[in-house]
Amino acid sequence: MHKRDESVLEIRDVSKIYKTRGAFFGSSGKDVTALYRISLDIFKGEIFGLVGESGSGKTTMGRLIVGLEDVNSGEIVLDGREIVGLRGRAQKEFRRKVQMIFQDPYQSLNPQRSIYDTVSEPLKIHGIGDASTRKDLVRETLKSVGLSPPDDFFFKYPHRLSGGQRQRVAIARAMILNPEFVISDEPTSMLDASISAQIFNILLELRNKLGVTQLFITHSLAAARYLCDRVAVIYRGNLMEVGPAEEVIRNPKHPYTQALLDAVPKFGHDRDAKRYGTLLAKDRDVEEDAGCVFFPRCAAAHEDRCGRKQPGLSQLGDGHFVACFRLEAMHEA
Amino acid sequence: MALLEVENMSIGYNTKKGYLKAVEGVSFTLEEGASLGFVGESGCGKTTIGMALMGLLPPNGSVREGRILFEGKNTLRMSDEEIRKIRWRKMAMIFQAAMNALNPVQRVGNQIAEAILVHNPSVGKEEAMGQVEALFELVGIPRDRLRDYPHQYSGGMKQRAVIAMALACHPKLIIADEPTTALDVIVQSQILGEIKDLQKEFNLSIIFISHDISIVADMCKDICVMYAGQLVEFGPREEVFESPSHPYTKALLSSFPTVTGKKSDLIPIPGETPNLVIPPAGCRFCDRCSGPGPSCQAEAPEWVEIGPGHKTLCCRC
Repeated sequence: MHKRDESVLEIRDVSKIYKTRGAFFGSSGKDVTALYRISLDIFKGEIFGLVGESGSGKTTMGRLIVGLEDVNSGEIVLDGREIVGLRGRAQKEFRRKVQMIFQDPYQSLNPQRSIYDTVSEPLKIHGIGDASTRKDLVRETLKSVGLSPPDDFFFKYPHRLSGGQRQRVAIARAMILNPEFVISDEPTSMLDASISAQIFNILLELRNKLGVTQLFITHSLAAARYLCDRVAVIYRGNLMEVGPAEEVIRNPKHPYTQALLDAVPKFGHDRDAKRYGTLLAKDRDVEEDAGCVFFPRCAAAHEDRCGRKQPGLSQLGDGHFVACFRLEAMHEA
Repeated sequence: MALLEVENMSIGYNTKKGYLKAVEGVSFTLEEGASLGFVGESGCGKTTIGMALMGLLPPNGSVREGRILFEGKNTLRMSDEEIRKIRWRKMAMIFQAAMNALNPVQRVGNQIAEAILVHNPSVGKEEAMGQVEALFELVGIPRDRLRDYPHQYSGGMKQRAVIAMALACHPKLIIADEPTTALDVIVQSQILGEIKDLQKEFNLSIIFISHDISIVADMCKDICVMYAGQLVEFGPREEVFESPSHPYTKALLSSFPTVTGKKSDLIPIPGETPNLVIPPAGCRFCDRCSGPGPSCQAEAPEWVEIGPGHKTLCCRC
């Protein structure tokens, strides 16, 4: 489905640090590391999943890629071109190629604009087509996200639509410029299961029919498994594990990924699924922050090693990377 | 005698658009120490049921017909004063979005002590604080956080505090309405584990309300599946989830992604839920059903028994 060697997006050693506001008198505030030296490649035509809990930095990653925020260090390269500091025409071109679908369709659509206005606006901004071709394009795009007959929706306003329909409008708005790369940040967290499945299937269709490369940001391993070709698991801004989705989720190697899977409620035959037990019942007291970020909670950790140094990524199998000393040691043995 | 018996309960809301029939003809029983889960999508009436049991429906909502028998007494016939005596002392609720259930300008410990003091006038202030400390230990909040304000707590700790508050007066029944929806999966599993342990320890009866099938299946022995204000399937969890009978239950199960087992295509349910101001005459799921029969559109379905304790509201099953 995707070609290994053709990266659409390269994230090279990206860090993002937020500064908190300090007290009025006194200290100047603390640095909060949202992302720490993340490197990832996203291949052409794949759906790449970024999985993490709240505060892991997954949303920050999405915002950095679309240029809503700037990196502190590192590079983000799209189609061989560094995106930080793009200005003028180059920036406009970049914005045509990269689109984002936000989490909450109740907030991401302007309530005072009709669906037609909302979906056709990107065409106007980029000066594409005349009135009648725009109309045809909007019609086609609405149909492709399952809003049919499209003409019925043209002059409706968001308040008349259900959550699922709104999210389809948001997808249509992102798709109308025929982007190369689409980022969706928890696009179904506000929706019911049966409606989420509709949205998932639309995203899959975008990949299968139009070959759109996607970054899917989620907290749900189950959704990532269903939708993604490859996934990356991040924890407190650090990359823990990357690999083919099925491999990472069925055969996780990092203690944190294993703890996440343990925590997913299971039922039916899955109740007997094996447990990894890699989460400590009570967090370890850690004096310095030098070690692995998961060290304070990790039951598989080795005091001397994991508390002192951060593990690097080591490769396990075909494209499966894990940042854990336990595996480094196994590898050497 | 069952702890709680609900017979043919219907609940409606007066809205601008007309009378909304939020819950229609729901019956179930709950024994002491048992756990019952309500699962369904937004707007199916599951929260409304919880609120009605607690006597906390908003002013525009009312129980139109039916009976709620708690320890054999009909709570719908009780005066406000009588129901206030049962509420919190005999049945308590863990609300959805617990973060908003705490008063932001009062110390967490004091808030819980207040719940104890209001409902047990004989208890002194010192004693109440002592009980709060014990409760904190029970739900896993460190003692030194007693004098903190809610904003100093993490989401998981606020949820634990709300659980402590629900347990404050040793109720027999706990109604948990989406208690972990806003939490991360690891914290969620810890809280669910906590609730399970407490249930065992105090022989609590639990009504667990969630849109998430996997959580309900994990927490409850018996399951009620709700759709558009009606119960559509009822039975032991193994039966309901492993051999679902109602087309809605089947559809719901196949629209849920999983982390285990074979990866299969998710099948979304087409269409939208019906308007409950003018509910359909026949089966409410008919328009979205994959195999409706000729009479489904016009005739309301009846309950069919398909196994021991396993019933379904479908005329095709």
